[in-house]
Amino acid sequence: MIRALTLSVMLVAAGGLFAADPPKPKVDAAKKAKREARLKAQADAKAKEEAAAKVNAEAETKARSEAAAKEKDLAAARAKSAAERKAKNPPDHRSLTKKIDIAIYQKLVDEKIPASPRADDDEFLRRVYLDLIGVVPPADKAEAFLDNKDAQKRAKLIDELLDSQNFGRHMADIWDNLLFQRVTDNRAIQREPLTTWLQDKFNADISWDSMVTQLLTANGSQEDNGATTYFLASLTADKMVDSATRLFMGVKMECAQCHNHPFTGWKQNEYWGMAAFFMNVRIQGNTKNNKNGGMPEVMETSRGKQKNLPESAKNVPAKFFQGTEPKIGGAESRRPLFAKWLATPENKFFSRAFANRVWGQLFGAGIVNPIDDMHEERTPSHPELLAELAKQFATSGFDVKFLFRALCNSEAYQRTSRPIAGNEQDATLFSHMYVKSFTPEQLYDSLTTVLGPVAGNNKERMKDNTKRGPVTVRDQFVAFFDPGEGTKITDYDAGIPQALRLMNHPFTATKSVAVARAVTRGLPVESALEKLYLATLSRRPTAEEVSKRLAYIGKCTTPEEAYGDILWALVNCSEFTLNH
Amino acid sequence: MFESLSRRDMLRYSSLSLLAPSLSGWFGPLAARASETKAKSKSCILLWMDGGPSHKDTFDMKPGTKDGGEYKPIDTNVPGIQISEHFPKLAGLMNHAAILRGMSTGEGAHGRAKVYLHTGYKEGVGGLVYPSLGAIASKELGKADFPLPNFVTVGNRSYGAGFLGPKHQPISVADAARGVESLKALVGDGQFDRRVGLLEEMETGFHKQTGASSANDHRTTYQRAVRLMQSKEAQAFDLSREPAANRTKYGTGKFADGCLLARRLVEVGVPFVEVNLGGWDTHQNNFERVKQLSGQVDSPMSALITDLKERGLLDSTLVVWMGEFGRTPKINTRGDKPGRDHYPKAWSSVLVGGGIKGGQVIGKTDTEGAAVIERPINVLDFMATVCKALGIDSNKQNESSIGRPIRIVDKGANAVKELF
Repeated sequence: MIRALTLSVMLVAAGGLFAADPPKPKVDAAKKAKREARLKAQADAKAKEEAAAKVNAEAETKARSEAAAKEKDLAAARAKSAAERKAKNPPDHRSLTKKIDIAIYQKLVDEKIPASPRADDDEFLRRVYLDLIGVVPPADKAEAFLDNKDAQKRAKLIDELLDSQNFGRHMADIWDNLLFQRVTDNRAIQREPLTTWLQDKFNADISWDSMVTQLLTANGSQEDNGATTYFLASLTADKMVDSATRLFMGVKMECAQCHNHPFTGWKQNEYWGMAAFFMNVRIQGNTKNNKNGGMPEVMETSRGKQKNLPESAKNVPAKFFQGTEPKIGGAESRRPLFAKWLATPENKFFSRAFANRVWGQLFGAGIVNPIDDMHEERTPSHPELLAELAKQFATSGFDVKFLFRALCNSEAYQRTSRPIAGNEQDATLFSHMYVKSFTPEQLYDSLTTVLGPVAGNNKERMKDNTKRGPVTVRDQFVAFFDPGEGTKITDYDAGIPQALRLMNHPFTATKSVAVARAVTRGLPVESALEKLYLATLSRRPTAEEVSKRLAYIGKCTTPEEAYGDILWALVNCSEFTLNH
Repeated sequence: MFESLSRRDMLRYSSLSLLAPSLSGWFGPLAARASETKAKSKSCILLWMDGGPSHKDTFDMKPGTKDGGEYKPIDTNVPGIQISEHFPKLAGLMNHAAILRGMSTGEGAHGRAKVYLHTGYKEGVGGLVYPSLGAIASKELGKADFPLPNFVTVGNRSYGAGFLGPKHQPISVADAARGVESLKALVGDGQFDRRVGLLEEMETGFHKQTGASSANDHRTTYQRAVRLMQSKEAQAFDLSREPAANRTKYGTGKFADGCLLARRLVEVGVPFVEVNLGGWDTHQNNFERVKQLSGQVDSPMSALITDLKERGLLDSTLVVWMGEFGRTPKINTRGDKPGRDHYPKAWSSVLVGGGIKGGQVIGKTDTEGAAVIERPINVLDFMATVCKALGIDSNKQNESSIGRPIRIVDKGANAVKELF
């Protein structure tokens, strides 16, 4: 079967060669004249093409040098901002890291639950890569890290990953999924502008309060400002309130849309009082289809009424949640007032929500769970710690990387995921690291790190793309593996169709053979095995594993065939697909 | 892992699939068993007419009225019931069918109406993603140890499991003639078995170390996928195993293949299959297109009903024919080949088999087909009716992902009692 596939690949390549062969000469005189004319035409065309190619090449060189200059500018800007940050005396995470470890340890002692030991370098390496940049480390990076004797190497790696552009990309993947409501009525709204916007902001160290303010108050089209995507995808004031309170305050108000909240005593009027801050927002243009070209725009106006509100909508004055009714001038736009109230150190919900969410993202469980439903009935596992995280995050100027740095450097985060006797049942006190499932994006990026690109459209979506739905291979993969909303990060949610694809898609079933052959070429068996393990599981195989795999190699016709099988099993096994 | 399927078993199954002479060998006894046991749990085949079929040009004809359309009604084998002339075969099976002419559902945009008619809940209400009928059937009627998925969709995207989770997500077949994607190993049987053995060793090792439930779920999912690949039931996905004569009855085309696949799957015990036929959004050129689409429905749906009947499966299999809404009673003025636009206020769906009382029309629209004047059926009523026919308690509450209890069908639903 593999041989047949390889053969067909070769045939395709051969077809390309045949096509380049010159035409055979003809003898007939009339035909000859015709042929000469054709050749001349061809030569002219060729000259034209060459001229065009030259222009193109020049343009390309220019574009490339411009891009390089831009990249240089960007790099300079980054260096400058990094220098500025340093000059500003970036908040020192160490006191918070220490507080984390004391709080977690004290609680374990109180509850008489033993803590698992520190994770080995390989376990830490893989985890921190996945958590900070969303992908497994390449084999050479893994090898270098494991062999590095520097006592500070973990802290240095955390800094390196936080400075990587892929940190922004990973955060954008997470937040894009949270901010973009999945409904049919916004299908003409593109995700790309929001993803790019988020990625740039996270990478440029824009503070969380500033990002949230921009997301909540953006006007114009997606082209003008990627942040407008948030309202364009949310569509109406009520959905905006549901989302903003859930994501930025850790409060689920949506029950109060139609009736008073059953547990919290929140009133329906409070819900619509919050929605009132978004009632003057209008979407001009069509969010359902873009057949007519024009891009929908967000604008603020007091004229007319917002469309498509639910029947339960109430017209009440704008009022802050558990707070006051602000005085609003007639023409004054309301969203900035809301953002100003929300994104401040004084708002007790704002910093707590982000701290709890980041904690949940890294540890597999929040200090309050569910992480976005933090009402008073839900007791935090470590209330003082949550308060401290929130306080220091606010004091840092809502510095996102400060929070990540503080958490990742803690012993709590660096514990092994292997439970020990007495802490197997613990799922809330962080006695050991909880095993997390890959997001579809993590899985795709990790698979392609190991196996190279998947055939198909790997380019980013065109700006004016009118196609709906997933376009790139990555988008399609993510859509296929999408576990849906509200799934727990510790659950393995893929089903049979996904397992079938991972086992039987040519990418894993046959490409693994070619990749295994390439990476093990010329290596003795033990080194070859080590290479395969480093590339996938970011560790060296144990002695037991080596002896088992050697036995397997013995069963196969050639070691090369066995390497393909082993790589196939490695990318399919749970140790690969789980972040542990 | 995969201990449930030993190496010897795998070999046996692989050789079985090589040697299996015809489906009668193992389908025969299964079908016979199904007809013996009266208490067999129910199945459902949803024939989804995507885009919204025109009720006045299919099952609620208004001959001789303004905008009544171009087709003639024909008599059926039930005195007094007439349907479009483009369903000649179905006309002979109306004794098994009930036409619901009083559908009135209130959502006129494709996206929202499709969600509503698949789940019984309006899109986005309460911030939840609701399970579609297929996922509900998978949860309530499916068997956990069944080698096949309990919910299969054919021919298009469907609506998934929502908060019921991935275990009830459909396996989707893009083209019935080609079967399930990635079901066959790309390497030889021997090599695949070896690979699975290798994977088994790795899985066991990792699970022993972490004890994580996710590792266990991963293992179980892979076990089920391998079991599906090796199971004899998976042969139901292979239409080439159907005797040619029988295949001919269904006619040709993707929808015909889909109907045949649905029958084969129900026969081996899949509780819910959805087959999609698109193209019913006939804003333009309504009369040529509906005629052509009706032609695509008539043979396969009739063959499906007859086949189920012959196999003793019709009483336990509910066949539903429906789209997301009907179409405007008035013919629009779009160009020289006009059509009809979206119309959720009054339309028709058809139920066949599943133990319902056939041979009847329930509900009535006015002379224009514009308003329901007798026995209106809203979405809740309709969902409750389908649940009742399938033996699902529509008042049962399932837990959403945040632990909120959600009724299978929201409060206020009344199943159409005339059917039972």
